[in-house]
Amino acid sequence: MTLSPCPHEKEIAALLACGQWPHAAPADLRTHAAACRSCAELALVTSAFRAARTRAAAAAPLVSPGILWWRAQLRRRNAAIERVTRPILGAQIFAFLVCIAVAVGFATSHAAQGLGWIEELRQTARSPSTDLARLWPSSLAGSGSALWVLVSVLATVALLGGMAVYLASSEER
Amino acid sequence: MPLESILPSLFAGEAFRAAAIPAELPPDTLMGNEAFAAFYSRSARPLWAYLARVSADPTLADDLMQESFVRFLCAARPDDGEVAARRYLFRIATNLLRDHWRRPRQASIEEIPEEFFADVSSSAQSDSRVLLGPALAQLTLRERQLLWLAYAEGYSHREIAEVTGLASASICLLLFRARRRIAALLRDQNTKRGLAL
Repeated sequence: MTLSPCPHEKEIAALLACGQWPHAAPADLRTHAAACRSCAELALVTSAFRAARTRAAAAAPLVSPGILWWRAQLRRRNAAIERVTRPILGAQIFAFLVCIAVAVGFATSHAAQGLGWIEELRQTARSPSTDLARLWPSSLAGSGSALWVLVSVLATVALLGGMAVYLASSEER
Repeated sequence: MPLESILPSLFAGEAFRAAAIPAELPPDTLMGNEAFAAFYSRSARPLWAYLARVSADPTLADDLMQESFVRFLCAARPDDGEVAARRYLFRIATNLLRDHWRRPRQASIEEIPEEFFADVSSSAQSDSRVLLGPALAQLTLRERQLLWLAYAEGYSHREIAEVTGLASASICLLLFRARRRIAALLRDQNTKRGLAL
């Protein structure tokens, strides 16, 4: 099996490309093609494929180019939006995790005081004379940390509430 | 720095989004609507013929052709002429076809009647009466692609290598083998038809 092409192949290929094979070909070239296996194959295969291309192209059902152009615009736009919003989504997730960590840390640090407060609440409930001032934890009474705790709790609730509202509204969109 | 660029999208809204898009895609690399319509009118039929004949599935060819054009339009590439653009389009189509072929096949070339590709005009010459479908059915996808690109589209070995992603040096041998195979099949077919007539 040899890969070296016949020197006449280029000439025959050019005639085939113009649609002039075999009618406009010189007689000696036609004689050569009849005897040369490589050239005969080239003529046979090229003719078959060119005809198949013509037939298939005529049968092609084409859509409007405007539709395809519009689809491409839409896809480009969506891809651009996705590229822009990806880091924002990451920042949102990060902020949410930080809020959770702060809330857990706060709950852990005040768990001891909270338990004491519950115990006092129980005792108050058992006693016949209930004083509302005693509901406040004794460890916090009269100190400035009471205000700090209240502000922290309200801030955390507001932050988590805002996040929840935002996440809900962004999912709706 | 515009205010919209430092605000989250929640507050900036659509204006921020619309402004962000041109910054991602340089407009000089994108084809306009009219230029695309002209390119489409010259390239769509050859591309469909390639996809339909190689895949042997006209419905798949429809889908892949549309997807090829959409991806072609989405790709930001320099304007280097229609010949290069068409080659790039064929490359996209070839990749899509290969991706499709990696999934389980649902149709066989033998299920598609040759009449589907029958020419509405009668311009076919004597040799072109040879029905290609049965012979193509016996070739591999790669052989069909190579033969179509070389003998239907008239691409050179270098261009075929660019479209298919194969090494340029191996195209010559692969094409030689594929041509020898299909020529033998077409000759057999002609002989059988001659005997039948």
